[in-house]
Amino acid sequence: MWIPIQINENSAEPLYHQIKTQLRSLIVSEQIEEGTLLPSIREFAGSLNCSVITIRRVYQDLENEGFLRTRQGTGTFVAKVDQGERSEYRRTVVQEAVEAAVDAGLAVQYGEDELKELFLQILKKKYHSNQKEADS
Amino acid sequence: MIEALAVQMNGIRKSGRRKPIGPLNLEIPSGYVVALVGPNGSGKSTIMNLILQTLHPDEGELSWFGKSAPGVLPTELRQLIGYVPEVPLYEENYKTPEEAAAFRARWYPRWDQQRLEELLRRFEVPEKVKLNKMSKGERRKFEIAAALACRPKLLLLDEPSSGLDPFAWKHMIDVLRSCLEEEEITIVLSTHIVDEVKRLADYIVLVHQGEVKGMVEKDVLMGNWKELWVRTDRAQLEGLPDILEIHEDGPSNWRLLVQNLAELEDILVNRGVSILKSRGLELEDILTLWMKGELPEEIKWKRGEY
Repeated sequence: MWIPIQINENSAEPLYHQIKTQLRSLIVSEQIEEGTLLPSIREFAGSLNCSVITIRRVYQDLENEGFLRTRQGTGTFVAKVDQGERSEYRRTVVQEAVEAAVDAGLAVQYGEDELKELFLQILKKKYHSNQKEADS
Repeated sequence: MIEALAVQMNGIRKSGRRKPIGPLNLEIPSGYVVALVGPNGSGKSTIMNLILQTLHPDEGELSWFGKSAPGVLPTELRQLIGYVPEVPLYEENYKTPEEAAAFRARWYPRWDQQRLEELLRRFEVPEKVKLNKMSKGERRKFEIAAALACRPKLLLLDEPSSGLDPFAWKHMIDVLRSCLEEEEITIVLSTHIVDEVKRLADYIVLVHQGEVKGMVEKDVLMGNWKELWVRTDRAQLEGLPDILEIHEDGPSNWRLLVQNLAELEDILVNRGVSILKSRGLELEDILTLWMKGELPEEIKWKRGEY
């Protein structure tokens, strides 16, 4: 199966890390379902033009973290993601994004109240319009 | 993890007609694709000839799949090796693909006629034409197909893509990739084609002035240096070990050549330097830096883990 991973060769983030982070979030967000057979190491490396060493390391690390399991002779599968882990992960993703937004505010000397107001404004806009779409 | 080695070279030296080669120390792990890169005449083809023992070293040791053999390479080891030479064999010039294949089939117990025919069809190699009447690219495609038909455990490709049109080149990449997926095979290829390295290699070996300068995992090598554009006062860039070059690029703008960008980035941000853009280096620039001796010692020979 094709795994939608986007590599940025210009990023400061090492290739190994880019692949691992993206594959993990695809699993945790259930875009790749439990039990899915992942491509062989060689096949995956070929599709990303990276070395098998990088992919093997990603598979091993994610297996150690409990996101993948390997059955000898059959291949690497997506494991069952623990619900606690999933909510923990969701929280981490959102927290990092919010922190980045606050950092952006600090970088241009945005005041605390100013930032809070902007945040609430965006919140209202996004959630409200989503609601409308859902209703229609 | 200890990996099996397809080829091991230990202190190999050879005084050639042109210039001395060596000392060569090289360990090619089994099941990987290793690209030999380096300027013309640096010794890439010589390494292949040493592996095949068509060239005998003056000193040093060589082993194949953990077995060493003094003198002539034993037939049972030679049968595991497929080879596409830079210049095709003269002896086969007046043969058609069929005749040449019949000749080769006798030497290789694992010869796979079906695979050969499939590949020749896929590569659109003319059937009835003598090999020396073919175009350079057609002959090349025959050579690659015939080397794969012996179902090698070790495949040596000396500039395999020379003479191939872009379509045949793509076919070749696909064919090699499916061989790699099918069974454990080790490929050593020498090449000047950057895209070939990017699409196939796991490890990159730099051969320069008759010496092996190291074997580095491709992704580690490709990610080692970055070009960075920053806006800051020149003084903020002083005293940082990972900045190799600084070029002025407009008022208060600087173009830097850096390594360990992930760590350096934090330091720069803390110093109030704004990072405008970062960019990976092209393979040819990376190799130039490596030849100049800029590659950190600790990644030069590391294998398997990092």
